[in-house]
Amino acid sequence: MKYKTQREKFLNFGISTLALGFFPLVWFLSQAILFRELTDILSRNVLMILGILVGSTFVFLLFFGMNKIISYSDKDSRDSLEARMFVGPTIFMIGLFLIYPAFRTIYLSFQDRYGTSFIGIENYTWAFSDAEMIVTIRNQILWLIFVVTFVLILGLAVGWLTDRLNKGEAFFKSIVFLPMAISAVGASAIFKFIYEYRPPPLTQIGIINGLRVSSDQGNYICGNNKEILGEIRRVGDENCLSPIGWLQQRDLSNLPFVQNLDQDIWLNNFIINIPLNTLLLMVIMIWMFTGFAAVVFSAGIKAIPSEIMEAGQIDGASEVKVFTSIVIPYIKSTIVVVGTYMVVTVLKAFDIIYVGTRGDLETNLLAVKMLDEFSKYRNIGRSATVAVLIFVCVFPVIWFTVKREREIAE
Amino acid sequence: MTRDTQKWYDKPVSKLILITIALTWFFPIFGFVLSSFRPGESIKRTSWWEALFTGQIWSEMTLENYSEIFFADGLNRSFYNSFAVTIPSTIIPITIAAFAAYAFAFMEFKGKNVMFLLVVGSMIIPLQMSLVPLLQLFKSGAEVFGVTIIPALDINGTYVATWFAHTGFGLPLATFLLRDFMMGLPKSVIESAKIDGASNFTTFFKLVLPLSVAGIAAFGTFQFLWVYNDFLVANVFLGVYRPENLVVTSHVSQLAVGQFGEAWHLRTSGAIISMIVPLIVFFSLQRFFVRGLIGGAVKG
Repeated sequence: MKYKTQREKFLNFGISTLALGFFPLVWFLSQAILFRELTDILSRNVLMILGILVGSTFVFLLFFGMNKIISYSDKDSRDSLEARMFVGPTIFMIGLFLIYPAFRTIYLSFQDRYGTSFIGIENYTWAFSDAEMIVTIRNQILWLIFVVTFVLILGLAVGWLTDRLNKGEAFFKSIVFLPMAISAVGASAIFKFIYEYRPPPLTQIGIINGLRVSSDQGNYICGNNKEILGEIRRVGDENCLSPIGWLQQRDLSNLPFVQNLDQDIWLNNFIINIPLNTLLLMVIMIWMFTGFAAVVFSAGIKAIPSEIMEAGQIDGASEVKVFTSIVIPYIKSTIVVVGTYMVVTVLKAFDIIYVGTRGDLETNLLAVKMLDEFSKYRNIGRSATVAVLIFVCVFPVIWFTVKREREIAE
Repeated sequence: MTRDTQKWYDKPVSKLILITIALTWFFPIFGFVLSSFRPGESIKRTSWWEALFTGQIWSEMTLENYSEIFFADGLNRSFYNSFAVTIPSTIIPITIAAFAAYAFAFMEFKGKNVMFLLVVGSMIIPLQMSLVPLLQLFKSGAEVFGVTIIPALDINGTYVATWFAHTGFGLPLATFLLRDFMMGLPKSVIESAKIDGASNFTTFFKLVLPLSVAGIAAFGTFQFLWVYNDFLVANVFLGVYRPENLVVTSHVSQLAVGQFGEAWHLRTSGAIISMIVPLIVFFSLQRFFVRGLIGGAVKG
């Protein structure tokens, strides 16, 4: 009897290892190698169709195969084996694609540019002393402050105001929410068109420069290469404003109103150094995410029991008072969730910078810098260090949220 | 006293603010869409708002930009590439996560809590942490103490690399969301199925999966839009240097960073083609998308 249990235990252990480690590994490798080989053999169109059909369904083989193996085990332990077979692939994939790389990145951040020899904390001293890195960190902080604040405020405004409407609530929300559906790359392209600069005397096709060059100066009529009163008003006319390359402005020094400021005064100096291009890039992200915040807040506002709202109104509280002392406290946890989401999103912002300025002219952010270090400067150690910095910033934010959620749940 | 009789901050005011915001939000898209229908030369000669005011725009409307970008410039290839990347990258994590979610919701096993903690905990890992190690893994494999666990695969630049990457990055959220959803299903139904002698496998396929369609749709919509709109992972694992490897986002980014000079007629039409699919998905599945989004608030 005892011998049999030992044998069974052994068998179960074998099957369990097969199901948890070996089988997902075989699936992973076979799918990888199969499609790598197919890439060279097949024509592109066949590969695409096969990729969609087989690539999506290949994973079922894994589960049916495991199920088959488990059916050989004895009845008593089948349940626990089955459970392991169900969670096995998830644990395997998370381990291989998130946990293992996380440790490896931390390890690499202490290595040199080839990732082969240990150099201590040199990469970290670089991260906090290199001029480019300091600008990147400054930008990241500015982004965190401004984008998160504006998204929350605008989101609250839209969420609250649409809630007061009898008609057209869905319509307004859809318009503001729309940018959330399109890619950050597309959104950046849209805004690049607005900020577009063309050297004079070319016609300005970006609306900001277009309005700028055609705004009249005193009695002098200006135009965007347009015939006015029988005379063609050109861009670059010395009596008119000249266009500005908005995304090239790392400060405000090219704007007329700051040129007259006395630079010695601290405040003026601060104003001149406002990074204009960074602010303009932030607008893209605010444009994209306000709708998301509005939709989430609006759902939160709808959940407020109507008795509470009405009680406030009967007491004669003004609309603003209702908003600040009933609505805000009631949806506080929702605000925290959206705020967390925005902090994490901003820390990982990549596409907008990449498309907008390619990280040049002091606009870089950590996520772009991380990839720059890897693919442009070929420095694995530094790239890993920047990734760790992102992680270190994300970690407390989410930890805080999870802890909070737990407290609420209890 | 009802809400409608409130006078202090009356509706016209809030309506005005809303209309202003809505117009501001819509305005950037408007000029962009108009320009996509104008010939390249006209875009450069007159600004779109001038053309609109003078009425010139109606006579010059053309679809030529769209056919040029789609066929001559090869956006059609990138478009199909996007599907070849996105569809498996949505289905694989859903499949794997649904099994795990079932186990976490309805089964008892050793190490359940630890494993679930691992899943939830891995949500905080930003994908930036994974990029470099994964590139190395896909290229030259992995060794642990000198033992080769994963051989050199050399799959960077193929679809399968992006499928795996997106699967890995999407799994924690998928498992978490689907488990949450399955916990909400009536337990008695699942238990009675088991008493009737149905195996877990059958219960999963015949009962739980059909009941979880709404949860799967929520994550599926989110993941589909996320992958389709993703540029970073496509950039890293497929690359932007070989034209046959471009997906729509990387194709549009190539256009927008200005490799083609001032080709605004292609930039606009290309970007708009790239937006069509997400907009259709978005408007038809908005309900699910919002749900996935809120759940995905802490996705790594």
